[in-house]
Amino acid sequence: MKCEVCLESLEEYLDGELAAETSEQIDAHLITCSECSTSFATLNAEQEIFARYDREIEVSPFMWTRVAAHTVSESNIAKRGWLATLIRRPSLASAIALSLIVALIGGVYFLTKHKSPDSTIATTPSQIPSPNPVRESVQSAAPKREVIASQKKQASRVQPPVVVHVPTDQSDVLSSDTGYLDIDDQDTAKHIEQTQILLRSIKNVAIADGDDEIDVTYDKALSRRLLNENVVLRRDAEMKAKFPTKTLLADLEPFLIDIANLPDHAKAEDVRVIKERVQKTEIVAALVDYQDRGTIIVKE
Amino acid sequence: MSAFAGTLMNSSADLVTRVCQGDAEAFRLIFERYSRPVISFIYDMVNDRGLAEELTQETFVRAFRAIHTMRTETKLSTWLFGIARNVARESLRARARANSHVDLADKSVMDLSDNKPVPVDGLLSKELNELIRRSLAALDEDKRLVFTLKVLHQCSYEEIATITGFSMAKLKTDLHRARAEMRKRISPYAGVGYEV
Repeated sequence: MKCEVCLESLEEYLDGELAAETSEQIDAHLITCSECSTSFATLNAEQEIFARYDREIEVSPFMWTRVAAHTVSESNIAKRGWLATLIRRPSLASAIALSLIVALIGGVYFLTKHKSPDSTIATTPSQIPSPNPVRESVQSAAPKREVIASQKKQASRVQPPVVVHVPTDQSDVLSSDTGYLDIDDQDTAKHIEQTQILLRSIKNVAIADGDDEIDVTYDKALSRRLLNENVVLRRDAEMKAKFPTKTLLADLEPFLIDIANLPDHAKAEDVRVIKERVQKTEIVAALVDYQDRGTIIVKE
Repeated sequence: MSAFAGTLMNSSADLVTRVCQGDAEAFRLIFERYSRPVISFIYDMVNDRGLAEELTQETFVRAFRAIHTMRTETKLSTWLFGIARNVARESLRARARANSHVDLADKSVMDLSDNKPVPVDGLLSKELNELIRRSLAALDEDKRLVFTLKVLHQCSYEEIATITGFSMAKLKTDLHRARAEMRKRISPYAGVGYEV
């Protein structure tokens, strides 16, 4: 074998990518040719230098928590079946919710019109000034039967307020805390979700007794970004008088500040203090609760 | 079940099967086994620790969602590196679009390589590690990709072709040129005088 042919194939030879026959020819040539042998030794030394290259990069103990939050937990939600389908498909959930409301209104209307004229009349506020007209109607239906019989026509005219009563009540429930409506704002929803994942990863971080330092580079960077967002969103919520949202965002800030101020390789004790505070205050549960309420509102 | 049988159940192929059957623990084992090589590979490509963490997380999320599409004859590590390569490439493209790409083929690389002592034994000095990191960042993307996979992660040419989609000819050419460029940068420092 000529030296130039050998040198051309030397990298593939080193990489173990040559056919056995060619490889054997190079073996033989390297034994006899000192120049090619030196070149191979140099190439080999170079390879060894790269093999010892240390990136000084570790897998953060938080990373699996974050991956699991997007994978395994999603999978678990999927296993919950129809409820998960509703959560993941707001349009379907809205359609079903609308159908239920229509059915409910229809049912109430049907009952009030076809069941018994007694109850229909009894629920009329002008006739019976009770804070709970339906219950009152059941209790006092018999004694008032005569009065009712004489006022059938009038009673049928006051049916509409009874029908309207149901949606009015639902509206009161849903809007009792108007601050939750801002979950419609995608920025706030996304911010709450990301903050929840960050705090959950802090809450679940495994700190062994022997750990001196924990690499929180990623969490720190994420916390800094979320902190900036949080300030803007909190002020926005305050301006729009969405006080529950504002209060929740204000509660988040001390956690985000503490995480953002950690060094890249934080002392295990410092991380433990934040972790314990996250656990103690149940801030993650508050975020989840907020998201759940937001999901219901969005579906409606 | 014997310990040997337990080990068999944890082969990469078995872990993939178990994940497809809904076994979350199996995916955690895959993460434990491959997260370090994947984050190292992504770091080699993007040269940013925080971003490497984020992209590694994205790689495993994508892997979980697509694992049922993985062909049985594919090696799990090759498949994961393929996803990691796509994730890293998307990030590099986005960074290039944002004009925030920092060309690390700067003077400081050559400054580091000027007439420094040669640490041939033991761990590489911090300076040489830093020189390799910067030299890698200075390679163009395709060369960095094949060099990283072959030299730093010991993938075979066939695996590299699967991961990158490159032809064998392009792969060999890029690898040869990448080696030459890396040699040029580190030879003054490491005392390598080999010329091809």
